[in-house]
Amino acid sequence: MSIKRTLPTSVLSGFALSGVFILTILKLLLQNTPQEMQRAGDSLLTLNANEGVANAVTTVVVYFRGFDTLGEIAVLFIAALGIGLMLSENKRCTIKAQSNFMLHTGAKLLFPIIALYGVYVMTYGHLSPGGGFQGGVIVASGVLLLLISHRDFEVPHSFIVTLETFAGVSYVLIGLIGLFTLDVFLGNFLPHDIRDMGILLSGGIIPIIYIIVGIKVGSEMSMIVQNLIKRGDDV
Amino acid sequence: MIGFIILVVFIGVILVALSAIIQPKLADSIILFMGVGLGSVVLFFIFKAPDVALTEAVIGAGISSLIFLMALKHLKAAS
Repeated sequence: MSIKRTLPTSVLSGFALSGVFILTILKLLLQNTPQEMQRAGDSLLTLNANEGVANAVTTVVVYFRGFDTLGEIAVLFIAALGIGLMLSENKRCTIKAQSNFMLHTGAKLLFPIIALYGVYVMTYGHLSPGGGFQGGVIVASGVLLLLISHRDFEVPHSFIVTLETFAGVSYVLIGLIGLFTLDVFLGNFLPHDIRDMGILLSGGIIPIIYIIVGIKVGSEMSMIVQNLIKRGDDV
Repeated sequence: MIGFIILVVFIGVILVALSAIIQPKLADSIILFMGVGLGSVVLFFIFKAPDVALTEAVIGAGISSLIFLMALKHLKAAS
């Protein structure tokens, strides 16, 4: 199997086709700017005021489309499962290369800051840009930094499994509590007053669900990265 | 002024994406793909979508390229 590729004529015709598409999209965007048209964003912003969450995107992702988010983290779980299954037949590699002093110390110094920033992005997802997905991946990138700098470092498998199970089960449990109290799956059963908009404890279940999503995404991405680094040939 | 910045970044992203396709080595393609993600972050931020910009910075330019690089390492080991 060779890694090198050649440049056939189909690639050139692909370039020409994509150029035509880009020109068409630009022409559409420049000529048909919506002015009087009813836009979906206006009605979503009107509905957003009912939930008392400052970031309207979070309301759409976690509340109006909460069931889709449950499906998305299920998709991420299946991806992590597939990578784990594919790499499970490889033996565990032993990393012989020793990282130098600067990387070793810098990683120790940077990891708490990265983890704290990830938790901040997770917790303030309903007030500022960010949220569970982004915060979880930031925490996982901190784990990646430790994995490439400390050759003996490894997150215990049972710890990741516990976190992920807890997050997945509590997401569904919160949805079921909403179903039994308000007759809607993922109904907002905690107090969410419009006057509290902008403070940390606002929005009812929405920040809680985003933190749960962050825990699940962070543990799954850490597992993917750890499997890709630790399973394979010796380095 | 802001329109000029948008135009420069937009054309730059398209050029980097085209050169990522025609690179003969896959590792160079992945590095240029990170550049596409970086330009997209600027565009998303200018177009007032900071949520999408943060997602693209973390996932598109950061961890997905690293996963591509590690997958390339596994591919080279298999061949």
